[in-house]
Amino acid sequence: MRLKRYSKVWSALAISAILLSACSNDASSTKKPHTTRKMAEQMDTKEFSHKTNNDQPDVADGSLTYGLVSNTPFEGILNKAFYEGEPDNKVISIFDEGLLGTDENFIYDQSGAATYGMSEDKKTITIKIKENVNWHNGDPVTATDLLYAYEVIGSPQYKGARYYTPMDTVVGMDKYHAGKAKKISGIKVVDDKTISISFKEANPSLLTGLWTAPLPKKYLAGVPIGKMDAAYQIRKKPIGFGPYKVKKIVQGESVEYERNNDYWKGRPKLKSIILKVINPQIATASLKKGDIDFADITADQYEQAVSLTNIEVLGGIDLAYDYIGFKLGHWDAKKGENVMDNPKFRDKRLRQAMAYAIDTKLVGEKLYKGLRFPANTVLPPSFPKYYAGDVKGYSMDQNKAERLLDEAGYIDTDNDGLREDLNGKQFTIHFAAMSGSDTLEPLIQYYIQQWREVGLDVQMLEGRLHEFNSFYNRIEKDDKQIDMYAAAWGTGSDPDQSGLWVKKAMFNYTRWVNEKSDRLLKAGISLEAFDETYRKEIYKLWQAHISEEVPLIPTFFRYHLLGVNGRVKGVTLYGGEVADWYHVSVTEEQPVK
Amino acid sequence: MWKFILRRILGMIPQLFVLSILVFMMAKAMPGDALTGRQMDPKADPERIAEQRVQMGLNDPVHVQYIRWIKNIAHGDWGVSYTHKTRVTEVIGDRIWNTVYLAFGTLLITYLLAIPLGIISGRWNDSWMDKAITGYNYLGYATPVFIFALLMLFLFSFTFALFPAGGSVDPYIEPGTFSYVLNKINHLVLPVMSGALVATVTTVQYLKNEIIDTKTRDFIRTARSKGIPDSKVYSGHILRNAFLPIAAFLGYEITGLVGGSVFIESIYSYPGIGQLFVTSVMLRDFSVVTALVMMTSFATLLGTLLSDIILSAVDPRIRIE
Repeated sequence: MRLKRYSKVWSALAISAILLSACSNDASSTKKPHTTRKMAEQMDTKEFSHKTNNDQPDVADGSLTYGLVSNTPFEGILNKAFYEGEPDNKVISIFDEGLLGTDENFIYDQSGAATYGMSEDKKTITIKIKENVNWHNGDPVTATDLLYAYEVIGSPQYKGARYYTPMDTVVGMDKYHAGKAKKISGIKVVDDKTISISFKEANPSLLTGLWTAPLPKKYLAGVPIGKMDAAYQIRKKPIGFGPYKVKKIVQGESVEYERNNDYWKGRPKLKSIILKVINPQIATASLKKGDIDFADITADQYEQAVSLTNIEVLGGIDLAYDYIGFKLGHWDAKKGENVMDNPKFRDKRLRQAMAYAIDTKLVGEKLYKGLRFPANTVLPPSFPKYYAGDVKGYSMDQNKAERLLDEAGYIDTDNDGLREDLNGKQFTIHFAAMSGSDTLEPLIQYYIQQWREVGLDVQMLEGRLHEFNSFYNRIEKDDKQIDMYAAAWGTGSDPDQSGLWVKKAMFNYTRWVNEKSDRLLKAGISLEAFDETYRKEIYKLWQAHISEEVPLIPTFFRYHLLGVNGRVKGVTLYGGEVADWYHVSVTEEQPVK
Repeated sequence: MWKFILRRILGMIPQLFVLSILVFMMAKAMPGDALTGRQMDPKADPERIAEQRVQMGLNDPVHVQYIRWIKNIAHGDWGVSYTHKTRVTEVIGDRIWNTVYLAFGTLLITYLLAIPLGIISGRWNDSWMDKAITGYNYLGYATPVFIFALLMLFLFSFTFALFPAGGSVDPYIEPGTFSYVLNKINHLVLPVMSGALVATVTTVQYLKNEIIDTKTRDFIRTARSKGIPDSKVYSGHILRNAFLPIAAFLGYEITGLVGGSVFIESIYSYPGIGQLFVTSVMLRDFSVVTALVMMTSFATLLGTLLSDIILSAVDPRIRIE
């Protein structure tokens, strides 16, 4: 499972942006003539290769340096069940993996360290771990280890963030989680290497969201669950069963890995990997110098990076989208449901008009240098199977916007150039946005200006951008001052987006309640949806429905770029991350300069 | 003297107490908490988050939380960092030495440079040397430290490849060996120089002004008229007086030893306290934020005390008996 946790990434981004906004030199002044990028319709990963092209012969026993681009040290909670920050996840992904492999749609297949089978009623999954899968300390990875992961995460003492669907729908899990049962009745260890897990309901999301990362029970023996995240075995000397072993950690700044000769796929090609935390400001320069072989490339270093001759730029589309949301109601915490009671944006023609009024294509090209491109829907193209490329979305058409506004009855009655509301009163929209990067202020001002062109009076909430935490705090509490807001969502690797959209979802920040949408989302995770054609069709319908109703305007999808030194071979990206470190090798002793 | 120190230390207790209330209340007044960010994960279960808020005691009234916090501190327990999932003392302990090395190195270089430059500039003012030093001073005043640090990085790490670009030590070196120490020093050179070359100008300017000021005093004229050689006038009379305020500053500089530098640490990916502080504020890691603010406040109080002690040691006029 490669679920991304955008929360902390975003906070990290916010931090970096604060520093960046103070530090960044004016990149635009040295700008080269810009090449126009292709737009959404044709936009897929073809724009950037997601695989390295290098086909030279490997160097035996090579070594490479991975630059973990981050403004902050990694926290060092080096276990899939406990980590919080994305930097930690990157450190983990080199030495540990889940038991089941995935295809490019993030759906489990039979390519991993274990194979699986589903029961007839699709409620029980049986996982069989391959014989030669062993932990770094030599112990075999067993069914008990996977059971232990469920017992730890489901435990009332567990303090981490991984206790969620589908884990909480395992038969007997609720009793165990409440402390009323000693065992999880739905999980059975068949033999040393085989385990079966039964769920209350059949749900195709199981095939992307099932928890498959075992915990080394023997190695962790004696560590109480409540203290596991601080344990020596997790922080200082973590083990996994991935292609490389952790040899040494310099807390927060670097990790030295060595080859795991006992890896189940065979002997990895590199002798060692060094991971170093690299400040975003110097990432590109370090790539140029050959100090590091790998680094993420941020939008402001993009032009510099593509001009380098010693690296290859790989790219994928992030599992995320930017959007502008309309506040349509509030969250009733007592009932645990959304109530759509805010009349301001009730008319969908008004919402559509606002979507038609802005030119995201231009913004993507000019402000984001083509690294973000217009989003037509709320599932990114990184789900090749479920992304609805044929949904039209909203490209700029201000005449249409004006027509829609006229139809809806928002007319300028006092000839001040701004439209009044249905009762002829002044109509002002308060728009909230987050601070965090240089780009945001001009972006928001640009939107506001374009809305003004169609006669809508949009004001920045309290005349300024808002800090990340306080912004989300107010969005979540349905602050009455906020009519509309600009934010972003990480979609996770599961196409099921119920957690963001249905009536009962707290994260449905727009508070949009729609029966048809709920029905479609439910169908998407029903027993029938195990049939892929059916599921695909359902999600296409759902995306078209969202596009028609526009409870939020999807604005951008994002490219995630990675610079890789010319000597590196065998890198494939899935959703912007290295898919399998086992295949990575180098073809020269020293980095290409 | 001892009485004076004791009195000052006793005076710090109510100061720290008031400070602790302020720090805690202000930290709590920040919008959001450690779990706000987590809610961005669409998979996170709202009930589970609510459960955790209760577990962490975030729903209790502020004064209850404060009393619990202060009680724990009295027992030496600074709490658990939410982000790092480990004891606050451990999180800070991991980084404090990096910051101490960095700050101490910076302080050392600052004074090593500032004192001779200040003396030259003050003693031979309006000479070409003084003009050169003053030129450097203005340049230093005008240069923001983060620009300067980046410049140093590009020149000495990327262009000439003399020093590493970041981190505090290379991972493949065995701790405890001599080469480990050398490696650490090698990593320190650029951050220290970036800090020191900018920080030094204030002290140079100060020292110069003091020397020029003292030079024109009556007692110097008297000394000169008695026929005392110039070098003796300087070493015996002028410098002694001119150093007074510099010595007093030293105490305050101690605060920097634990406070860290956000810019330098961030540009050189050097894991220290300054960086930890900013991150913790952004992620609303209250226990770390409050502990760090208390720590730096305490260091400031100590620094002030130290300054007073130094001053009274070198300047008999203000000694309190």
